[in-house]
Amino acid sequence: MATDPWAPPYADPTLPGEVEQDTGIPPAPAGVPVEGRSPWYLAYRRLRRNRVALFFGALFIVIVLFCLAAPLWAHLVAHTGPDTNHLTEKIDINGQPTDVVNVDGIPIGPGLHGKFLLGADANGRDVMVRLMYGGRTSIFIGVMAAFVTTILAVIFGILAAYYRGWTDAVISRAMDVIWAFPVLLLGIALGTALSVSGSGLVLGPIHIADDSIWIPILIIGFVYVPYMARPIRGEVLALREKEFVEAAIAQGAGTMRIMFSEILPNLVSTIIVFFTLNIANNMLLESALSFLGAGVRPPHSSWGSMVSDGYEFLYSAPHLTIIPGLMIVLTVLSLNVFGDGLRDALDPRAKVRLEAAALEESH
Amino acid sequence: MSWLRGVCSRTGIGAVAAVAGLAFVAVGLTSCGGGSSSTSGTQGGDLNFDETSYPDYLDPQLSYTVDGWEAEYNTYIPLLTFKHAAGSAGTEVVPGLAKDLPTISTDGKTYTFQLQQGLKYSDGTPVKASDFQSTVQRMFDVDSGGSPFYTGIVGAADYQSGKASSISGIKTDDSTGKITIQLTKPDGQFEDELAIPFTALVPPDTPAKDQTPNPPPSTGPYMISKSDPGHQFVLERNPEWAKTNEKLVPDVPTPHADKITETVVKNLSSQTTQVEQNSADFMIDPPPTDRIPEVESKYPDRFRKETTVSTYYFWMNVTTPPFDDLKVRQAVNYAIDPAALQRVYGSLLSPTQQVLPPNMPGYSKFELYPHDINKAKQLLQQANPSDKDITVWTDDEEPNDRAGAYLQDVLKQLGFNAKLKIVNGATYFTTLGDLKTPNLDIGFSDWFQDFPHPNDFFGILLNGAAIHPTNNNNFSQFDDKALNKEMDTLAQQQLNSSTEAGYAAVDKKVMEQAPWAPYGNREVTTFTSDRINFDGVIFSPVMQQDFGSFSVK
Repeated sequence: MATDPWAPPYADPTLPGEVEQDTGIPPAPAGVPVEGRSPWYLAYRRLRRNRVALFFGALFIVIVLFCLAAPLWAHLVAHTGPDTNHLTEKIDINGQPTDVVNVDGIPIGPGLHGKFLLGADANGRDVMVRLMYGGRTSIFIGVMAAFVTTILAVIFGILAAYYRGWTDAVISRAMDVIWAFPVLLLGIALGTALSVSGSGLVLGPIHIADDSIWIPILIIGFVYVPYMARPIRGEVLALREKEFVEAAIAQGAGTMRIMFSEILPNLVSTIIVFFTLNIANNMLLESALSFLGAGVRPPHSSWGSMVSDGYEFLYSAPHLTIIPGLMIVLTVLSLNVFGDGLRDALDPRAKVRLEAAALEESH
Repeated sequence: MSWLRGVCSRTGIGAVAAVAGLAFVAVGLTSCGGGSSSTSGTQGGDLNFDETSYPDYLDPQLSYTVDGWEAEYNTYIPLLTFKHAAGSAGTEVVPGLAKDLPTISTDGKTYTFQLQQGLKYSDGTPVKASDFQSTVQRMFDVDSGGSPFYTGIVGAADYQSGKASSISGIKTDDSTGKITIQLTKPDGQFEDELAIPFTALVPPDTPAKDQTPNPPPSTGPYMISKSDPGHQFVLERNPEWAKTNEKLVPDVPTPHADKITETVVKNLSSQTTQVEQNSADFMIDPPPTDRIPEVESKYPDRFRKETTVSTYYFWMNVTTPPFDDLKVRQAVNYAIDPAALQRVYGSLLSPTQQVLPPNMPGYSKFELYPHDINKAKQLLQQANPSDKDITVWTDDEEPNDRAGAYLQDVLKQLGFNAKLKIVNGATYFTTLGDLKTPNLDIGFSDWFQDFPHPNDFFGILLNGAAIHPTNNNNFSQFDDKALNKEMDTLAQQQLNSSTEAGYAAVDKKVMEQAPWAPYGNREVTTFTSDRINFDGVIFSPVMQQDFGSFSVK
């Protein structure tokens, strides 16, 4: 930090309450007009200086690109699809024809032998290809479930805080009920009821088949709603007392407009941070549920279900478990570190609040 | 963990399929050695066995899984029983509590037995001929999965529906020990049906509800002295066996061990380690696929594979396109490679291409469809089915799910748009058995014999008369008039070399029609501790592991 030209001695002394916060912008010399900068630009500057967060953000993008490249790898390099079995085939390793899956059902491991770069699974399917396609499922579920959580949490959080009274009481108590269940237990219960039992989900005219990946998406999205709705409600409770809301009321704005045009834009930075961290949590929960058989149902595969399938061969083919497990760790780690950096950049004060909330939660 | 559904077949009969499906008990077993008498091996010793799950029931009228039958084989003895021997010798029906094999009337409808006089239950109660009638009635009272085997007895259907207070077709005389059973029509399998444990005698005052926590007194060499469901049960010597029963039941050898404690250890890998380290003497289920190569190479003198009398197959629904076309079904048979599926099952499967498994009377090996993907594609090109969207069904039990994934891949290679549908193991067979379930095109199934009679396969799985709207087991809905007639005629005759030849011919004719693509006979394992006399362990083809044959060195 000693070489950092923007270190605290240069911080803007006109903001005594935020001295410890780094705006990322050098203070303007006295007498020079200050150029206006949007909060987004300030956040971008702060983020750009957090090398660790940027590195992990880039890592996440690399992982996403890796998964998106699945068809390319499958067609151009591996010449096999994610579901193609090679049970009785042999490949050439050091001039020796070797079984992809031997007669005892044990598959080959990773190695530089062309087709099966990361080895094969017990059906002789190329692990590299499956890893790339499985990652698409895992990331898709993580992101879509985060959308579900965010949309529901924002709606319920704003409604509860804005109306207060009985609306708040009903929504908050309902959230408390969900909160009272351990996330994994609730996920397993819902997964078993909707998916494993074979009944699927019927929501009015919408019918979701039991093996659809929308079932885990909705389950995961649902169980995390209180974890996001509660802090949003807290923030709206504070925002609704602000002068700009009073001004809007004085101008005769309707409640919908106040909630969604006045208050919501002030929540965006919080939402972005939660959204990012939520994707990581969702992917972890998806893996756990799939491992336990209550998440992604075959024939879809995800990293979680690959770990689950590979677990049967932990002694003889550990690569089946380790490789997708490593991908889960890397992705979740990258999202968490990047999400933290994003939070620090977007709303430096939020860190204090979130830590307080986490402390409260742990009690 | 490879779970074999334990099962002595999901039986052909209705409700049982569900029961057997639920009880995915692993079968584990062992086998072999020929000697059936108690003269070889050391007497005495306490043994500890590991099991993955508790038997479905420890009540002879109710149990319908291999796990339960293994515990009952040396405990609850029916009028007839299966010889305590490995290989095809073990399929022979021999007298149990009856003095001899029954006398059968010339019309094949009346069976007469003579109960041995002087037999006692393990609590000292004398065994009476009328106990047979109360036992059969108790089986109907508890709504046993086995009851469909006995509805051919005159008056049994009325008793079952509550129209009669007793089964009129069973006549017993306590003073002479004579038992007469009247059937509504000849039944070539009836001796087998009387040798499986459902009609093993229990005292007449045994309550008509599940007695698993407190198993009824027994007539065999062992009694179940403790049953803690979900955790552990104990077999100990029946005190009345040495005093009286042993001499009267010569075909049931006196077991070697004094006491067998079978404990639930959920993790197969832990079980394997326990047996390797001799802290358990035997594991009922096979070691996990993952560890079989290690066990096989390190302990060749106490590990072996045993073939069960079972067939694993893919059924094809012959009533709807595209599998209503013989050429398409034959193409699938050519395209399936049993060697590939053997790998899926971690070598615990021996390849086959026919309905009847080895050790089943009537089995005569043939292979109509040697693996040839090009021929398959050629046949399919000729057939050119218009409907190429098909659903492939399988259950979620490893590795059946992977067998389904293999089949889906093969069908894709043939040009089908195949969708894989994986159903929870507990509901899989009831789902398939409901003809209203949409898209029943092709899928996995298996069948373990109830008893060594080929009609236990054909009559239930491939006879047109066996197609039911629910609880159906003829998943192909195969209904060939000429073959139905042949099966029905054979079923009414006693099994002999000519009926066996008849069944062998039926096997081949069925496979020419190719309603199934059979791929293997399931294998289980015998893996014992160092202290067990491994070569003396008998794997019965019907009852699987013969606990009485285990002895300490």
